[in-house]
Amino acid sequence: MNTALRGTTGSGTFTRLLEMLRPDLMRFAWWLARDRSVAEDVVQETLIRAWKSRDELKDPAAARPWLFTIARREHARLFERKRLPTVDVEEVEALGDPALATDGDASLLDLRRAIMKLPDEYREPLVLQVLGGLTTAEIAAELKLTQAAVLTRLFRARNRLRTLYGLEPAEDVE
Amino acid sequence: MSDANPHGYARLHIGADPRALPADVAAHVDGCADCRRFRDEMLMLDGKVHAALELPLSEFRRRAPPARRYALAASVVLAVLVAGGFWLFRPATALAGDVVAHVEGEADSWNSHQPLPAAEIAKILDTAKAQFDSPYPIVYGYPCPFRGHRVAHLVVQTPNGTMTVMLIRHEHVMRRTEFSQGGMHGVLLPAGAGSVALLTRDGEVPDALAADIVSRVRW
Repeated sequence: MNTALRGTTGSGTFTRLLEMLRPDLMRFAWWLARDRSVAEDVVQETLIRAWKSRDELKDPAAARPWLFTIARREHARLFERKRLPTVDVEEVEALGDPALATDGDASLLDLRRAIMKLPDEYREPLVLQVLGGLTTAEIAAELKLTQAAVLTRLFRARNRLRTLYGLEPAEDVE
Repeated sequence: MSDANPHGYARLHIGADPRALPADVAAHVDGCADCRRFRDEMLMLDGKVHAALELPLSEFRRRAPPARRYALAASVVLAVLVAGGFWLFRPATALAGDVVAHVEGEADSWNSHQPLPAAEIAKILDTAKAQFDSPYPIVYGYPCPFRGHRVAHLVVQTPNGTMTVMLIRHEHVMRRTEFSQGGMHGVLLPAGAGSVALLTRDGEVPDALAADIVSRVRW
């Protein structure tokens, strides 16, 4: 393990990092999978893989994007391995998934539904950016896209959500 | 900045990341009322998107089915366990401590009484890469993350009471090691290239029973 992370072995700097980031990791996994059980599997696999690969994390400040990229790959691996069924968003809603619970804020619930219904290609970079804190360059590298393509996808994701708040969608970009 | 369509260029960047505009876009926005309004709207929207993505995990915990809830707890325990590098140098006692910590993290596992379906048990064992021909009903099971691997965490109903059985394929112990901690009594036993941990809350683990269980484990 690198020096920065090796400093505290008893309580564990690395453990604290994992603990601190685990809630957002769970949220990220849910937004990828839109299924609680799959998200929990993704998080567990991510924690295992992160522990095995902890030497690769040179800077604790980069732990969040590092973990998120591991989670994204674990989700893709799980999806491929188990051939997970495509998520039926209407069914997720009908089942009253706890992710759709709010503290009485109906507009937040509407927004969650709208994000959930975004195509994967728009939702994924948005979640990587907002929850994961990845830059557009990092997202481009992770998704193997050009930075221009990432900008377009992020623009389109937000543009689609504008109408929820009575805002006119902007003219699309190429 | 695109000369052909400065507004389109600015809006692309505003929509993509309203909080981090390139210098040329920021300069354009300062002098363009329409783009400034667009940016303000996107900043408002972005705050709401952030709030929406912050899912209420407390609701997850409240409604998660038991096995999943334990699994989530296990992942937390894993994170706690993995930090202790010292156990690398004290294999048996440290392993016992980790086993106890893991079981304490799934305390409700002791309260299960309903035998699991064979298919579910097979799936757990398959995930943990273990085989176990249990002579007793298995009332709880999960392929838990433990020390960077999946292990079969089972609870069986024996004639001597409830017993936790952990099939730890990736950790080898040299000899039988007994331990008592946190109100639990346990024993770690070599099992081929791996090990088996047995824990009870009601007295010692009988030798014959332990030997019988280990003889039924394969990797």
